[in-house]
Amino acid sequence: MGDKRITRRDFIRGAAVTGAGLVAASCAPAAEETPTEVPKEKIVVGMSRPLSGPLQVIGDSAFGPIYNRWVQEVNDAGGIYVEEYGKSLPIELKIYDDTSDVGTAVRLTEKLILEDKVDFLWPACGTAFIYAQAPIANKYGYILLTMEGGGTTITPMLPSLPYIFLSLSFSDWYELPVLADLLGEKGAKTAYVSYIADLHGIEYSAVAGIEFPKRGIEIVGLKSLPPDIKDLAPVINLAKASEADVFCCFAYPDQIMPAVGTSMGLGYNPKAWVGGPGVNFGFFQAAFGPAAEGLIGFTTFARGSSPELAAFADMLYADLPLEAQDWWGHPLYWAALETWKAAIEKAGTLNQDAIRDVLATETFDTILGPTWYENGLLAKDAHPGEIGQWINGVFEVVGPKDKATAEFVYPKPEWPAPPEE
Amino acid sequence: MKISDLDIRKLWVPGSLLVILGLLSTLTLYASTYTVILTTSIFMYINLTVSWVIFSAPTRYISLAPAAFFGVGIYTSATLGTELPLVIVILIGALLSSFLALLIGGLTLRLKGIYFTVFTFGLVELIKHLLLWYEIKYTGTRGRFVILVDNNTIYHIMLIILIVLLITAYLIRRSKYGLALWSIGEFEDAAAHSGVNVNALKTITFAISASFMGATGAIMATRWTYVDPYIAFKTLYSFMVVLMAAFGGMGQLYGPVVGAAIFAYLEEVLITKFPYYYMLAFGLILLAVILFIPDGLVGVIEDWQEKRKGKQHANT
Repeated sequence: MGDKRITRRDFIRGAAVTGAGLVAASCAPAAEETPTEVPKEKIVVGMSRPLSGPLQVIGDSAFGPIYNRWVQEVNDAGGIYVEEYGKSLPIELKIYDDTSDVGTAVRLTEKLILEDKVDFLWPACGTAFIYAQAPIANKYGYILLTMEGGGTTITPMLPSLPYIFLSLSFSDWYELPVLADLLGEKGAKTAYVSYIADLHGIEYSAVAGIEFPKRGIEIVGLKSLPPDIKDLAPVINLAKASEADVFCCFAYPDQIMPAVGTSMGLGYNPKAWVGGPGVNFGFFQAAFGPAAEGLIGFTTFARGSSPELAAFADMLYADLPLEAQDWWGHPLYWAALETWKAAIEKAGTLNQDAIRDVLATETFDTILGPTWYENGLLAKDAHPGEIGQWINGVFEVVGPKDKATAEFVYPKPEWPAPPEE
Repeated sequence: MKISDLDIRKLWVPGSLLVILGLLSTLTLYASTYTVILTTSIFMYINLTVSWVIFSAPTRYISLAPAAFFGVGIYTSATLGTELPLVIVILIGALLSSFLALLIGGLTLRLKGIYFTVFTFGLVELIKHLLLWYEIKYTGTRGRFVILVDNNTIYHIMLIILIVLLITAYLIRRSKYGLALWSIGEFEDAAAHSGVNVNALKTITFAISASFMGATGAIMATRWTYVDPYIAFKTLYSFMVVLMAAFGGMGQLYGPVVGAAIFAYLEEVLITKFPYYYMLAFGLILLAVILFIPDGLVGVIEDWQEKRKGKQHANT
């Protein structure tokens, strides 16, 4: 064959050229590494974020608006005062696109740490991503304050990951125990639990399986939903047939929105309808309007929680459309950044170890009020709320009861009547 | 004349290959840690692409299964990484992948053209969902933490896999076995009539190709630290491999090597330098390649060589 005659020579020559190219390419960045002492003018914060791919929409509505606004506010006020340098340093963000791919996120995280030598690392987006990042940040001694992502699986590992701090609340920290209390008190006896077949769904359904029976609520049905499910009717029909008092849908907006629509369509109106994450977003209200009334989700605050939080909502949501509101994550992310800034100021240095020690031991004053970390988790007692419910067009905090901004409505009202033809 | 030509080549080519090998194997001594990490990632793409080319280039059976074999390797590492030594885990990853390929190949390599392609694409989804169902039902987990391994170790193992792979690919090309594979691609019935056991040959080659993908996945998982079925079985990897092979050109072995290396490096540069325009730039480059160099880089180089030869003849 003609191909074969030139294979050997060209292969070897090609391989040689490639290898040489690779080596040359490899050497180039190495040569640039000449550390020079320049006066510190700014604090460089590196992030690997999903600027494209399936997680982009989450990143853009969750931590995205928070870090943009927060950095702008801090820089407008002159930056963060660092005693070591005797002046305030503005924050500069260095953001790479991990294309919603974990392998890329891991590589970029190491690039930020090793090559760009950023002063601080802020987190990637999504549970799997922060789980992949955590051991790496910890290995290099970089503080990682995580934002979007659950924590049940990683919590037992936190003692071996001293540089990792989790800001977001999650299933057993301390949402579902509070939900079970609320439902148990109102006399709910049975629950039907559907959950998405991923880490989030597994965690929440498992915790519900522990917390609900403690309050005398029997789980009469448990159904996993494949992540790409489109038609929720079979699940809703099963839930309806079970006649359970409570229906839970531990999934994402892509499943929860059609689940609500299908419940309305099939006339399924349980005494409590719980779904999250999804019910807690402004876009949920924008989509369902009055039909959102009585629906339960996870939350952190409402305007009624405190004057500080009301001011925070006014400030953050003044320029954002209704769709971009997130009553669960936004205040926790913001407060986490506040603790980070306060820890730097208190430590008076950019040294990660010194700041880590402050973060791990001190109590900070944030929009939440006094805020501190317990074994790497933002303390549950610092949460202004856990369970929310749409009441008169507002996502009110209904649990825990001592922090509620409105009375828990149980049973939920009927779905609004379909518009007359 | 000819003899002296050969002599020079005999000295020059293996010599330069040895120098490159020496430089690459000592990279960890003089390059920055991140350079080592980046090169590891480039090697990963080269490994996947060259493994794919071993089977798909000569036989013209376009397989979209690389992500499946790669994923099997990744999951082998995620499940056994804490129990067994790394080298054993990688070997098991390679073995499991090739076993899967034997099974799949035996069942489906009688399918031709687009049917085979569609089946291999489905395979990735099938394994992903099967694994998801199994993990949720029986282990109650969704993702797994993978044991952390030193960056330099990962780099050296990846390099060793690459070297073994290149030697294997080179030997297959030169052997009569390779010739038989090309004849399958040219005209399968004719190959069968000439006494080539086409099904056995296809299946075995498919398995060899898969074993390298599995080994690559097993070592790469240790870089990713946390995997779940969606991360491990990502169809994007199958498509990337085909694109890289097409970009480099499949006529020669150096094609996929160069294609994957340039593609992977380009991806890195675009992501870090132009994060907001990365996809756009990538798309434009792809379009330009398909429109202007349909035979890939190999085609460009061969054209250039032809022209040079033509000139030489004209001069003499």
